[in-house]
Amino acid sequence: MGEYFMVVLLDDHRMAKIRGTGLEEHIKYMFGGELRLLEVKVTEELKDRILQEFDTARVDSRGAITDVPVAFMRELFNQVVEKKSLGPEVVEAVLEKVDEIKKAAEKESEYLPPPEIEEE
Amino acid sequence: MSRFLIQRPLPHGGRLVERVVTDKEAAKKMIKGCPSYDIKPTLHYETGVPVRNVYREIMSICYGFFSPVEGSMKQAEVERILKERRLLNEWIFPYPLVFDISEEDYKQLGVGPGDRLVLNLKGKPFAILDIEEVWRIDNPEELAHLTFGTPERNPEVVREPFNKKHPGWVIYRSLQPVVLAGKYTIINEPKFRPPFDRFWYPPRKSREEFDKRGWRTVINHQTRNVPHVGHEFLMKCAAFTGDVEPCHGILVNAVIGVKRRGDYPDEAIVEGHEAVNKGGYIKPERHLPTIVLWDMRYGNPLESLLHGIIRQNMGCTHHMFGRDHAAVGEYYDKWATQILWTKGIPSYGFPAPPTDVPYGLDIRPQNMREFSYCPTCKEMAYSETCGHKREKLSGSFLRGMVAEGVQPPTIIMRPEVYKVIVKWWKHFGYPFCNEKYVVNKEKELEVDLEDL
Repeated sequence: MGEYFMVVLLDDHRMAKIRGTGLEEHIKYMFGGELRLLEVKVTEELKDRILQEFDTARVDSRGAITDVPVAFMRELFNQVVEKKSLGPEVVEAVLEKVDEIKKAAEKESEYLPPPEIEEE
Repeated sequence: MSRFLIQRPLPHGGRLVERVVTDKEAAKKMIKGCPSYDIKPTLHYETGVPVRNVYREIMSICYGFFSPVEGSMKQAEVERILKERRLLNEWIFPYPLVFDISEEDYKQLGVGPGDRLVLNLKGKPFAILDIEEVWRIDNPEELAHLTFGTPERNPEVVREPFNKKHPGWVIYRSLQPVVLAGKYTIINEPKFRPPFDRFWYPPRKSREEFDKRGWRTVINHQTRNVPHVGHEFLMKCAAFTGDVEPCHGILVNAVIGVKRRGDYPDEAIVEGHEAVNKGGYIKPERHLPTIVLWDMRYGNPLESLLHGIIRQNMGCTHHMFGRDHAAVGEYYDKWATQILWTKGIPSYGFPAPPTDVPYGLDIRPQNMREFSYCPTCKEMAYSETCGHKREKLSGSFLRGMVAEGVQPPTIIMRPEVYKVIVKWWKHFGYPFCNEKYVVNKEKELEVDLEDL
């Protein structure tokens, strides 16, 4: 039985939303402070459910569940803010909306807007 | 000259297989009056999605990547491979390679041993198959199991039974029942489309390129991914092997073939590796990104054997192997490939490493662990030397970051590489392979053909 988690990346916009939720103290910094994130706990059973629901989902070498639809990741952040928690109940709440997420994922599997960065 | 100097190995089997006719008039004569067959992709036995195109095997065989294999295998050869991982001429080889067609197509063609069949690709003559034997795959599921093994038969490294979630197993499970065995010859050289054209270095050309660059020792980096900085450090540090000095060259050889949803597009992979040298992170004089055509079987140790063969044929002296080499899921031990190259795997027919058995390989394995960021050292650090807690890098984590539109920090992905990802993201409307990409790719393939 491993320990699993999902990573919520925090840009400035998301930082503003978690202000005052008490989650600030759980922010982790990676790569010399260049990346801010929160880790949401995932039980073995929830991990299996995610892998079953989303065929692109993978568990990486750190035990992080990755490659779920972007819609899943957005809802994960919403639930973190709503529940002011990083416990398994967050993923449980996300999975309650699985049909909605799959519908959104269908569209995003055809198109994702690219970031506007300078090209060479 | 120092006795420690390592020389470039001969091709596997002693000579490069080259079965490409470049004289169009001669090619026309060779196919005159012969029956022809349009190459079809292998479709998933349940979903009908393309999982393989045999044209890639024909290319890799005829240009010598798979030397000494010369064609579609006879039944006795396939049986020997499944039992001992050896060809009938004794040289080691991991996988059955066959030209398979349906019963209906076979009846319609009406060909048999002694006949020459013209194989068309994208509506143009591409290759010939000189049929020596016709045999049948009675039970493709059994063939798939025998190809990869089982936890019971291969307890050293197989951890879970193979099933339809394993893309390599699916390829063998989806084969058509009639095998036409015999040698292939390409009679109309396909032209690679950009950007693949500039990465095409078949074995003769790669060996000539190494000579031109003065590379006596070359270490290969296997890839099917856009490089992050962890990969870059693996490449650079593995190259410190060699003989009396670090390897002269780093060959990146990307496996180009059928894609899975969620992979990076092949275009981004090859240009991403090129961006590493254009950005100077590994200088171009020491670094050469290239491609090989192959629909990955994800056979971890078995796949590493094929990789060793391909890269020895290309002229490499060393091959870097990491964790979960060419693996998917948790079917194999994470270190199965390194077990094969250090101890051997008796149940696969290797009581010793593939470099230490008769008719084995001469390329030297360089087994590596992992690089990740160490916040204490404030640099990328090697798992076996850094004594601090490090921040693990994973390709999947990076993919998630990219999908959410977050540019990865420079310490984990070079901005030049990220720009390549975004370039192809804009082109395809998506940063990874989605269904549209996968379907289009198998329609368009990587090549075009001219009229013969």
